[in-house]
Amino acid sequence: MAKRGKAALTICSTAFKTLGRAQASALGRQDLPIAVMPHPFGLRKREEVREIAAKVVDDIAQLVSKSGAK
Amino acid sequence: MPAATFEALDDLDAINKLYRERRWSDGLPIVPPTPERVARMLQHTQRRGDEVIAVLAPGFGEATVERIAINAVMAGCEPAYLPVLIAATSAVAEPQFNIQGIEATTNPAAVWLVLNGPIVEKLGVNATYNCLGQGNWANATLGRAMRLILQNIGGALPGDMDRATQGQPAKYTFCCAENEAQSPWAPLHVERGFARDVSTVTVVGAEGTLNMNTHSKQANELLRVIAECMVHPASNEYCHAGEPWLVISPEHAEILQAGGLSKADIKARLWELTQMPASRLSAKEVLRAQASRGDEYGEIKPDTLLTIARTPNDIWFIVAGGPGTHSTYVPCFGNSRAVTREIL
Repeated sequence: MAKRGKAALTICSTAFKTLGRAQASALGRQDLPIAVMPHPFGLRKREEVREIAAKVVDDIAQLVSKSGAK
Repeated sequence: MPAATFEALDDLDAINKLYRERRWSDGLPIVPPTPERVARMLQHTQRRGDEVIAVLAPGFGEATVERIAINAVMAGCEPAYLPVLIAATSAVAEPQFNIQGIEATTNPAAVWLVLNGPIVEKLGVNATYNCLGQGNWANATLGRAMRLILQNIGGALPGDMDRATQGQPAKYTFCCAENEAQSPWAPLHVERGFARDVSTVTVVGAEGTLNMNTHSKQANELLRVIAECMVHPASNEYCHAGEPWLVISPEHAEILQAGGLSKADIKARLWELTQMPASRLSAKEVLRAQASRGDEYGEIKPDTLLTIARTPNDIWFIVAGGPGTHSTYVPCFGNSRAVTREIL
């Protein structure tokens, strides 16, 4: 998406941050913003996930706009 | 682009130390891929060394013929094995195989190579005694070379882009042939649309192996016991409807055939017998199954009977091994479909 000029970011848990960075780099997008959530994510209850989402939504929106849709 | 070369002392210990430090090995000593050894390997293909066979996720490295040959040398392959690895590399890059998922997942999925056709005898690939174990050069080095290709070209280094929680021994090497001579049915490659005299490699995203030792001499009972072994709640098959595989021993195959069962009959029976109520899954796995298979089932309730695969034809098996009452269940990654390629 970033290569097509769309604002893009990746959201992953801490356990996948290395993978995300490496893959972004391999694809020539070292600057791809990656929002990292504490791992493990799958064990959290829906309410906890909603709480986390509410806390980070503004930061994520900022990251998206910084990634610069063209 | 030709692979880079570097000067090194003619000292095996020093070279292996270098490969260990640069993480170019799988943890075992390698055969130094000197230009001479790589050139000998390349004599076994008509393709140019710089031809790109595939781009391999998760690192999106270009698997050129030369790079495949380098990793084949490192693994200890005979030069004549190269065409198998070219075909296998092309196969794992097919989208339905999902190499991105298989390499980057926390799941222990390994790439299992299954060979069929005349090349089995030509290369001496083991399809009989201990065919999933040690002791055969082709089985050991072909499977190892596949792993090195995925790691060194595809970038799937453990702890970096290979996120496997624990992995499994088959990630070192996992390769065998079908024992076509002792199979009462059409071999795998014929079932998958190839002529019997064509040589093929099939790649499978395998979670592991489970030995099934049963002395049953009755086809229906044997199938029931095999099905019991295949049913397990912590399974990607039930969550995602994958492709479970079996390696049926020649003795078990004979019993099933004597019971009048065709391959299609066996698949249909196993598909029925392996149904599992959703209540046996954890609540989280039910949610995963709901996300993956909602289109099949609608709302998955505790009494919903989940099948191990979408259709009976998604269950696959080969006949392999020597004498004995042991067959093997090979549970699979789930989000992957096996791919078969002709070996040219």
